[in-house]
Amino acid sequence: MLDLLPRLRRFAIGLTGNAPDGDDLCQVTIERALNNRDKWAAGSRLDSWMYRIMRNAWIDETRAVSRRGQTFVAEEAGLSVGGDGGQEAAVELSNVGRALGKLPEDQREAVLLVMVEGYAYKEAAEIVGCPVGTLNSRLVRGRDALLALLEDAA
Amino acid sequence: MSITDEELAAFADDELDGERNAAVAKAVADDPALARKVDQHRALRAKLGDHFAPVLEDEVPTHLKDLLEPKDRVVDFARAKEAKRKGDGIRWGWIAAPALAASLALAVFLPRGSGVPEGYANADLAEALDTQLVASQGTDTSTRILLSFQRDDGKYCRAFSSSDSSGIACRDETGWALVEEAGGTAVKSGEFRQAGNTQQDLLERAQEMASGPALDADAERAAMETGWSRD
Repeated sequence: MLDLLPRLRRFAIGLTGNAPDGDDLCQVTIERALNNRDKWAAGSRLDSWMYRIMRNAWIDETRAVSRRGQTFVAEEAGLSVGGDGGQEAAVELSNVGRALGKLPEDQREAVLLVMVEGYAYKEAAEIVGCPVGTLNSRLVRGRDALLALLEDAA
Repeated sequence: MSITDEELAAFADDELDGERNAAVAKAVADDPALARKVDQHRALRAKLGDHFAPVLEDEVPTHLKDLLEPKDRVVDFARAKEAKRKGDGIRWGWIAAPALAASLALAVFLPRGSGVPEGYANADLAEALDTQLVASQGTDTSTRILLSFQRDDGKYCRAFSSSDSSGIACRDETGWALVEEAGGTAVKSGEFRQAGNTQQDLLERAQEMASGPALDADAERAAMETGWSRD
């Protein structure tokens, strides 16, 4: 599980949009995984199982608290700072974060699982718990939205 | 041939099966507009990958790693001492795995030797202290070495446990001075027992005395080769 932590953090930060919330989500995920370790079927993929726990934990969290408008404040502030090429690159990177934050949850998780975490459609669909076709169409809608958002930002 | 957006994305992700993959590949090759979309998909993937790459380089926060730290694991002794200096609670865990908690030791009683100065290890014990390495000792030895470490004055010390005595001995010019003695862990010959509180106390005592980490296998062997004398 320890080896998975960096990747789990990446997914968590992608879902939540920032590192502090991502680390909180990681913590909840690890605790849930440890409490339910007897439910993990030996021989099945530990990473998929952990990702599933994480996305479920995140859904619970977003249901409990509406975080809209709260995230990406730091990046907004950063955008107003002009600067040299290096800073432009940083802004460009944060544009990716901002664009991701604007996606609906179901599209965002599909995009993250496939395009960042590198899961095959089938594996991603199992993690999310939906048919492959559904995942595929969420992914396409998420990508098109991202492309449009990033084009606007450019 | 009509190609849906889903199919095109799946093609960009190498998710299509052989026949369909070949068909889409051909269509993409023939149609610059489609090819441009595929490039966009792939560029987006690369962009997302770059965006999140730094997270993988980051040090995972310790409070997350600690959640996964098994309680009886060997951890860095020096870190444990550092934590103690800072006044944190110490979690007992740095000790060599074979010695502790869940480990089963086979205790076999052997008669003790005699004729050694007061406060020093007898011949049998001294031999065990001189020659046994934690890493390679058998499970059927009468005395088990729990760990070895260097005291603040540089002297080598070893915590040991046998059926009739246990303690910590430090090597000086005379022999193995018993600096800590505790009761034995007597059981009938051949029975398995679980490491108990006596060992736990000893190991905590060792931790207090030690100047640094418990010796690892290489350091312990090196120390033995010098006859457990400094330098």
